Amino acid sequence: MSNSFRVPTESPHVSRRRFLQVGGAGVAAGSLLTMLDARQAPAQIKGTSLRMLLWSHYVPAYDVWFDKFTKEWGEKTGVKVRVDHMPHLELPARYAAEFAAGSGHDLIYFVGQILTGQYYRNLVDLSDIAEGLGKKYGGWLESSKSAAQVNGAWYALPDFFISIPVLWRKDLFGSVGLGEPKTWDDLRKAAGQLKAKGHPTGMQFSHCNDANHNWRALMYCFGVKETDPSGQNILLDSKEMREALRFGKALYDEGMTSEVFSWDDASDNRFLASGVASWIHDAISAFHSTRLTNPKVFEQTFVVPEVAGPGGRWNVGEPNVWAIWKFSKNIPAAKEFIQYISDNQKDAMEASLGYNMPFLKDQYKKPMPYLGKDAKLSALQDQEKLTAFLGFPGPMSPAAQEVVTTFIIPDMFTKVARGAPIEDTMKWGVGEVRRIYAKHKAS
Amino acid sequence: MTQVAPGGPSPPGSLSIPVGARAWGGAWWRTPTARRYLFGYVLLAPAVLYVALLVGVPFLFSLYLAMSDASVGAPVARFVGLENFASALENAVFYTAVRNTLVFTIGAGILKGLLGTMLAFLLLQPFKGRKVVRALIVIPFTLPIAVSVLGWKWMFDSQFSVINWALSRLGLIGAYGSPDWPVWLGQPTLALLSVMFVNVWRGFPFSAIVLLAGLTSVPPEIIDAAKVDGASFLQRFRKVIVPMIAPILFIGTAFDTVFTLSDLSIVYLLTNGGPDGATEILPTLAYNTGIRGGALGRGAAISLFLFPLLLPAMILLLRTLRRRQF
Repeated sequence: MSNSFRVPTESPHVSRRRFLQVGGAGVAAGSLLTMLDARQAPAQIKGTSLRMLLWSHYVPAYDVWFDKFTKEWGEKTGVKVRVDHMPHLELPARYAAEFAAGSGHDLIYFVGQILTGQYYRNLVDLSDIAEGLGKKYGGWLESSKSAAQVNGAWYALPDFFISIPVLWRKDLFGSVGLGEPKTWDDLRKAAGQLKAKGHPTGMQFSHCNDANHNWRALMYCFGVKETDPSGQNILLDSKEMREALRFGKALYDEGMTSEVFSWDDASDNRFLASGVASWIHDAISAFHSTRLTNPKVFEQTFVVPEVAGPGGRWNVGEPNVWAIWKFSKNIPAAKEFIQYISDNQKDAMEASLGYNMPFLKDQYKKPMPYLGKDAKLSALQDQEKLTAFLGFPGPMSPAAQEVVTTFIIPDMFTKVARGAPIEDTMKWGVGEVRRIYAKHKAS
Repeated sequence: MTQVAPGGPSPPGSLSIPVGARAWGGAWWRTPTARRYLFGYVLLAPAVLYVALLVGVPFLFSLYLAMSDASVGAPVARFVGLENFASALENAVFYTAVRNTLVFTIGAGILKGLLGTMLAFLLLQPFKGRKVVRALIVIPFTLPIAVSVLGWKWMFDSQFSVINWALSRLGLIGAYGSPDWPVWLGQPTLALLSVMFVNVWRGFPFSAIVLLAGLTSVPPEIIDAAKVDGASFLQRFRKVIVPMIAPILFIGTAFDTVFTLSDLSIVYLLTNGGPDGATEILPTLAYNTGIRGGALGRGAAISLFLFPLLLPAMILLLRTLRRRQF
């Protein structure tokens, strides 16, 4: 960027004081622009300290990379950085405590429970950074707004999302004359035939994150809409939802065992790695852990971005977003850091072994880091085209979050799988969702 | 201690107690009785302050939250009266949670009482290494709850459960994948029994230690006298020991009931209330609604339903205890 900054003058007679004021401003602005162009941190953050809190990543190698990356950034900018990692399920309680105390970490992270809608009044507006990044990298994915925007302003900055594709065993599918699954019907057929041979499938029917994601993927593929795009009107009471529930029961009866009722987020990883599973619907951490624990099974494990249903092909991702408390003691350094890491998404993606899926369109240029180099994972390079988030097509509002945290959708599938009539289950589930949305509307 | 004349100078470092204050026109608070009262209140004040700050203030704050539409991001909220309580009562899961909470608390309480009593009597007998065994049995109670519950999670794992593999090798159940392979945390009744079992495993050493403390305080002559009179073991236990250690038993039961009723960790870490609410208890429902879901007001209202469950039990226990003391 050139440094030709013209000093505007109002009259030909310029006083010395005025000249210094305008000239000083010009030099400062020019320096700032140069600095931004070269991504140099502003001098004002030098000597300050920054505390950040984020989750313990499912790919441990990523945390190692992140801590090193952060340390190097701190050395470069002169900021003393402290990074705290915590299991993601504990983060909401921690944020509630920090907010109540009015002090805590400068930079925080939402994953699992997206609390942007809850805390936005107390979060720094990051629209300037978000819009800058959008311009620089070809724009944000439309779905990114769901987790980061409230009333059109960016109160959180999307970092990456976790994709949850289908991991399937080519050898087992081949043994019953089936190839790569394309539809949910293909998966059901395979599960039914392979269960008889000791290789059932499994999706969590329990109270865990994966249960919320997996059953919603099935729902959205069946054309179910939780709400309208505004998030104000509930559309769950539909024939598509009834069909999805019916299909879920058939999938359970034909292709699963009762252990799925007890599973946590990691159970399906172990199920795949043990060699029992014919297919699972999970993040690629399961793929990577199988590589380490059971190479023979890994050789036969392949990845499909998502299978199609009567309503299309939708994968339900897990967004990860940055946010800054208004009471943060170091907002400039926090903003500088998230700008910096956003500019280094390629390295982050490589370090996460392709787990971190970007939110910025240009970052999908092929070959993508890590994914582009792995023949089995390269299919995920178009994942942005089929990704939806919880509450789809509405935003991840506080009401949508409460529906997620109280596990209403997994419980609906569980009830039906256990033999409850679909109509009774619909009445219960839709009633619960309506009650929650009504409460949030009223408050 | 020096007595001095009214109005007279006190020697430095001495405590002066005026005599006949009323007679010389002094205020009532300067009388010895008043001073004794004052001294008593001063001694009591730290305890009252402690209870007020650590119990009273949070309780009043949760009442305020329960009657407001507060969320985690907006704790200053408008008054909604009893709306949050009504909302909880409209929620079908709430009734499941109340039922499970009662089953969990009463069931685990009875089991802890029985096992604790048996263990206490065992530990009372003289045997080699008794001190070591007494130290070892408190391990479940002293281990960090997260660590011990994660250990149980592995033991209850649907695929790699050491319990199942052992039972299977012994021929008591079928192989993995067979219909009689128990899914401890997946079958509704088994899941509730499993979380109760972990609570009992963790809590019964505490019951045993409390009971042991009581048993050792019973004079052996009284037991011997009962034996001479021909009282059987059960008669001695019921008619002699229990009445004598009742105060300790009541306090122990009160503590255990409070701990069990408000126990969030075991259920949260093992099942998070699932599957389909089979292990949902009031603390998990309140936590998931109030903290994870962000609806502080409704979460607080759900947790306050524990109060009417606890209050009668506590009143009954404390009144019985008081009656026995006088």
